Amino acid sequence: MEGFALAYMGAGIGLGLAVIGAGLGIGKLAAGLAEGIARQPSAVAQITGAVNLPLFLLEGVAILAEVFALLIVLLK
Amino acid sequence: MQIEAQATEQAAEAAAEGFNAGEVIIEHVANSGLDHPLIHLPTIGGIDFSVTKHVFMLWVVAATVFLVVTLMVRRYLRQDRLVPTGSMNALESIVEFIRDTVVSPAVGPKWTNAWTPLLLTLFVFILAANAIGMLPIFDVLALANHWVFGFGEESFYGMLLHGGSTATSNFNVTAALAVVSFFAIIVAGSKAHGAVGHWKNLVPHGVSPALAVALIPIEILGMLVRPFALTMRLAANMTGGHIAILAILSFVFIFTEMAGQMVGMGIGLAFSVPLAVAISALEIIVILVQAYVFTLLTAVFIGMAIHAHH
Repeated sequence: MEGFALAYMGAGIGLGLAVIGAGLGIGKLAAGLAEGIARQPSAVAQITGAVNLPLFLLEGVAILAEVFALLIVLLK
Repeated sequence: MQIEAQATEQAAEAAAEGFNAGEVIIEHVANSGLDHPLIHLPTIGGIDFSVTKHVFMLWVVAATVFLVVTLMVRRYLRQDRLVPTGSMNALESIVEFIRDTVVSPAVGPKWTNAWTPLLLTLFVFILAANAIGMLPIFDVLALANHWVFGFGEESFYGMLLHGGSTATSNFNVTAALAVVSFFAIIVAGSKAHGAVGHWKNLVPHGVSPALAVALIPIEILGMLVRPFALTMRLAANMTGGHIAILAILSFVFIFTEMAGQMVGMGIGLAFSVPLAVAISALEIIVILVQAYVFTLLTAVFIGMAIHAHH
């Protein structure tokens, strides 16, 4: 295969892997959040506050992966 | 004259080759062309100060936020008894939300009043810039231009219609905001621990000197990666949403080209428009969340610089 095709494939596969990682991580966070609220409903605000920050950091990681994959495709 | 000839040529090409979805999407999201800006300003010190679409939108957003907030607050202060009503209530709830749930837990009670103005400014400005990008103002203006006014391509009005209207979808704009955050973190640490103390706090105390020296490049890298992540997070989120909506709406034109008008309209009614509406609703959530996240992360980093004693 020529270089271009490999580059596109690499970008696509890398992006998919990054999305899988982000999905798993955010899913675990959501599960932990739901379980925490189920165990102690009065602590909703605190638990949500604690989950907020890692959630958005993880989403940021996924978006950074998307940006770099796009760079690979656009800059060749 | 040359630009008119070029435009006619491009129009003929476009009519010949049909609907180019990629080009249309990029044109609706990116900045107006760097070679024919809205207002041509001189090049000072190697930096071209010409005004492009995104710079113009920055001014519009700043003017809008300034006018709305100032008029609301002035009208509130002119009352006899200071009882907030209506829109002032909304503004107060936003301020209280940012101060009590974002700034205060991150920064501590001693520094809340010092850092709330900056974080409120970031939040309101990013929210306004994102939201104004969702309003199809310039599409309405383009329709008005086509059917009513008929200003040329070269007039200010005509050039205003090119390019996307979301200022924060441009990574240069979000990079500027991230630079503000970067210096805010340094200033916060310096005010709390002294100018030298902030830099000494980069490595934790009580580790062996060899490990501390090894940690310095890692910490400096971390310091630089955080504003970069802030930049790309906001820019990519804003661009991605608009590209998704435009791509879905492009299906109508692609199917019209392939199979005729009725199929195009059918696809539009049954699939494109409802899905685009759903994604626009998602975009509204993303707008709120991204403004909140930028502010939250800046507040957390400022808090980490202030409370670096662990």
